[in-house]
Amino acid sequence: MITLIFFLAVAALLFSSLFFLARRKPRAEGGSFALIEARQALNALQSGLLPVELVKRIFAQEDWEFVRSEAPKPVRILFMEERKKTALLWIDEVRVQVRNLQRFHRGSARSYARLNPRVELELALSFAALLSACRLLRVLVYVGGPYAAPRMIGAMANAAARTCEISERSLAFLNAAQMGMLDGRPAGHATR
Amino acid sequence: MHTAARRMDVDQAASDLRSRTLSDIPRSLDRLIYLASMRDYNTGLYYHDGLASRFTQEVACEALADCHREAFAQLVSCSLRELVGQMEEYIHSTHTSARDFVTAWRKLEPYRVAVPVETDPIAASFLFSSFKIALAVLEARLHSAPAGPSA
Repeated sequence: MITLIFFLAVAALLFSSLFFLARRKPRAEGGSFALIEARQALNALQSGLLPVELVKRIFAQEDWEFVRSEAPKPVRILFMEERKKTALLWIDEVRVQVRNLQRFHRGSARSYARLNPRVELELALSFAALLSACRLLRVLVYVGGPYAAPRMIGAMANAAARTCEISERSLAFLNAAQMGMLDGRPAGHATR
Repeated sequence: MHTAARRMDVDQAASDLRSRTLSDIPRSLDRLIYLASMRDYNTGLYYHDGLASRFTQEVACEALADCHREAFAQLVSCSLRELVGQMEEYIHSTHTSARDFVTAWRKLEPYRVAVPVETDPIAASFLFSSFKIALAVLEARLHSAPAGPSA
């Protein structure tokens, strides 16, 4: 009798658990805010930080050649300080946006069935490599100035652009129209 | 459909602005300053009576904003040598003493209010920094040149 009551109690408990689980609303993991943040991070990287022209201009050797040949020492010092400041700002901003994107993929990879686990793993590795490169580059530029690691800057910008492309393909199902609706703005105005 | 038609109007207005007005302003620095002066500081909206009479006020405003962004992008892509050159020519065109100009621009930094809204902060910061360096180069040139009454 006691055994029967025990099993009935267990069955009732399991049934009620199932009932509550079935009634629970699906959790909007990531949520619209996370989606918007991810899209904004992508836009900031692709249209603001990684365009080749801007990266080339920030780290342009020809500007330094011009200042070195035309201006006295105080101006040369000012130039190096200013370019270093801009370079560090650029690296920090790339890092922030890469981390935003990484946070979205890390948090949402398990929520969206349309995200490919293999691609997400590839992205996770790319994010880790990019963030390490940012940290190293920051140290190099801080210590050696804006022209300390020109090849690494180019390589990092290219790697970040490639990662953005993979991320964009991975998030392709969240097209501009959906982002516009989530953002409360019409399609085509979901950028930045 | 309506958005596409409006975009076409804006493109047409921008093209009109380029051919009628901006073609007389060859340097991107001058264009940036001119287009910034078309903007109301209180509202951020651009006004151009001629363009508004040919199109609408809203279309004229968007066309001016487009051209402003274009001038900004052109100036950001200039090398430091080009920027210094453009500033020298701009000083010459304003008939201001180069010393007065450099002093005023260093103190007031008027270029900070000349950038379009929603400009990428890094690009804007880079341009401000380039202006600062260009002014230092111009000032150094003034110091090395014999003192004169004008630019």
